[in-house]
Amino acid sequence: MMKFDVVVIGGGLAGMTAATELQRSGLRCAVVAAGLSLHDAPRRDFKAAGGTLLAGDIVVSGQIEGGRLVSVRTEKLGEVLLEADWFVLATGKYFSQGIVADMDKVYEPVFGLDVEYDEDRSGWFDPSFAAPQRFLEFGVKTIDGCALKDGSPISNLLPAGEVLAGLSSAQGDATAAIRQSALDAVAIIRRK
Amino acid sequence: MPVKNEFDVIIIGGGITGAGTARDCAMRGLKVLLIERHDIATGATGRNHGLLHSGARYAVKDSESAEECIRENKILRSIAANCVEDTGGLFITLPEDADAGFGLDYQQKFIEACTKAGIDAHAISPAEAIAMEPSVNPTLIGAVVVPDGSVDPFRLCAANVTDAAMHGAKILPYTEFLDFVREGDTILGVRVRDARSGQESEYRAPVTVNAAGIWGHGVAEKAGVHIGMYPAKGALLVFGHRVNNVVINRCRKSADGDILVPGDSVTVIGTTSTKVPFEECDHMEVTPDEVRLLLREGCALCPALASTRILRAYAGVRPLVADDSDPTGRSISRGIVCLDHETRDGIKGFVSITGGKLMTYRLMAELATDAVCRKLGVTQACTTAETPLPGSADGRIESVSKRFEGKPSAGQKGAAGRQGDLVGKIHFNTEADRQLVCECENVTLAEIKYAVAELGVRSLGDLRRRTRVGMGTCQGTLCIRKAAKALAEALGDPSLAPKLAADYLDERWKGMRAVGWGATLREMEFMQRVYKFEKPYSYDEV
Repeated sequence: MMKFDVVVIGGGLAGMTAATELQRSGLRCAVVAAGLSLHDAPRRDFKAAGGTLLAGDIVVSGQIEGGRLVSVRTEKLGEVLLEADWFVLATGKYFSQGIVADMDKVYEPVFGLDVEYDEDRSGWFDPSFAAPQRFLEFGVKTIDGCALKDGSPISNLLPAGEVLAGLSSAQGDATAAIRQSALDAVAIIRRK
Repeated sequence: MPVKNEFDVIIIGGGITGAGTARDCAMRGLKVLLIERHDIATGATGRNHGLLHSGARYAVKDSESAEECIRENKILRSIAANCVEDTGGLFITLPEDADAGFGLDYQQKFIEACTKAGIDAHAISPAEAIAMEPSVNPTLIGAVVVPDGSVDPFRLCAANVTDAAMHGAKILPYTEFLDFVREGDTILGVRVRDARSGQESEYRAPVTVNAAGIWGHGVAEKAGVHIGMYPAKGALLVFGHRVNNVVINRCRKSADGDILVPGDSVTVIGTTSTKVPFEECDHMEVTPDEVRLLLREGCALCPALASTRILRAYAGVRPLVADDSDPTGRSISRGIVCLDHETRDGIKGFVSITGGKLMTYRLMAELATDAVCRKLGVTQACTTAETPLPGSADGRIESVSKRFEGKPSAGQKGAAGRQGDLVGKIHFNTEADRQLVCECENVTLAEIKYAVAELGVRSLGDLRRRTRVGMGTCQGTLCIRKAAKALAEALGDPSLAPKLAADYLDERWKGMRAVGWGATLREMEFMQRVYKFEKPYSYDEV
């Protein structure tokens, strides 16, 4: 067992923004960062602030009790669970597999969170490549910033970045909105 | 309305049948005009497996088709070496086939039927089959080796068109057939419209050949002739890499989704067979049910397909013909149908060639040309079975590559594989010419310039059909801007680039939408991001 104040899942723009802000404000943060894009500068800043970077690892499951996420399990740490008061989910959309689509549904693969998507596939795509594409708007649902599972909020699991419904960087520059979604999660954590 | 010069024969349709007929007619000394409303090979010709049938599939039920296939198979290997790949083929028997009455007894019957048709077929053990093709379903209980292969239908069609042109034929792509020019019961020629300029023209010839595939139904109607055609849609899926190196078939009664063909850098599973209305033939969409069926059957041949990214889905329409002798129209012939409308319907100067399949296109062309020659009193014999197509005289990559100074680059080898001995016409003079535009398929700027200058390329789709540009694992995601710019410059108008790219992306997007989930959807998000990351994509800024 390793205990942190905050565990951030995902080391992209949203994850590193939230983690570095929180670490600098005195909370002990760990980032589980898999994926292709390495974001060297943000990761350097985070480590310089004293944060713990678990590079090349992914979260595979979580233990949810009484509407709270207690701990997560990673592929590499195995039995050594990561426990925290707060979790930020910043795993991105399809490409990074923060959400996954199969023939019949769209789902969030780690926790099975509630995802906003159209059950009728016929509206997912516009025939014109250049037009806005509906499938890029799918993502996890939130209420007051918290993720939902089977309709109930998980009060300490805060999605940020492109894993969120309605947020995508594949339709035009979304950098500001992605950063803002991370700062929104930070604000909730600081308030409590 | 200007009346253009006269021809001996006008051929309607630039698919493989029309292209083959144009070549045969031109080689027999006729003055030929070929018209095609889109680009060559845009109908069923470019929408099939690309399977070089051994004929084994037909051996048990239709020995005539099987014999035709193996004959043409051998001919194509010799006249179209750069279009054909000798992959070999397997017909496998699975435990569930045995349960359904297609066990090893059927395999024996199958081998006997193949042997009778002249197809070299022999049984091997499951272990030998797995050694020959490691991706094959390991639960197989039997396998038969047959001389299947793969054929690039785009290249084959282009080679026929090129050869026809080299023998003096006039080739008019993007020229739409509007109506016949006729006098009483005699067809005198055709009225056409240039698809780009909209200008209408007339062409005249004593004989017109309808080689328009499924659209030949409508062409015949314009002459007041009815051909009982059945549009049979066939859907296929392309996978993101070459999963198998040997064609894999099921040794049972022919069914949906039971042929897996490796072609260049990809693998194709197909096909389905559904009757569709004529109106749908121009707008084929692959349905989720078709995809499910193809995946299920594909995984039975090769379990690795379950975890392989699907590049795209596509569908073609087989021009099946109802047997003239059956008044109910229910008896469908899969064989070649060559109709002389003078003897059949009393319409002079009009021949239809339809039915058949890609494999037998040369024979179809020969039959159609024989019919044309009879009408014109020409006695020249057919030589298409012995005369290599352009690019095929010595099309092996090893020998073609020897023409390059030093070690050939990836782009030169790719070009040699595609263009065969015509690669000598591609000029790899400058560093820029040698640069790869499409890295999936190793297409250089030099090959693009060649395709524009020599192969009548006007759009990125045309270019794809000649060079495989954008056909590989990234589906054009990483090369289409480059390719559009290169093509527009080669066409002499750089301002065309945005429109060229837009048309191409929409066409690729269509094939991906049908399979838009899983790894394909990841690719689709990536593709959107590549083009729209900074701001919503505008085609004006390629």
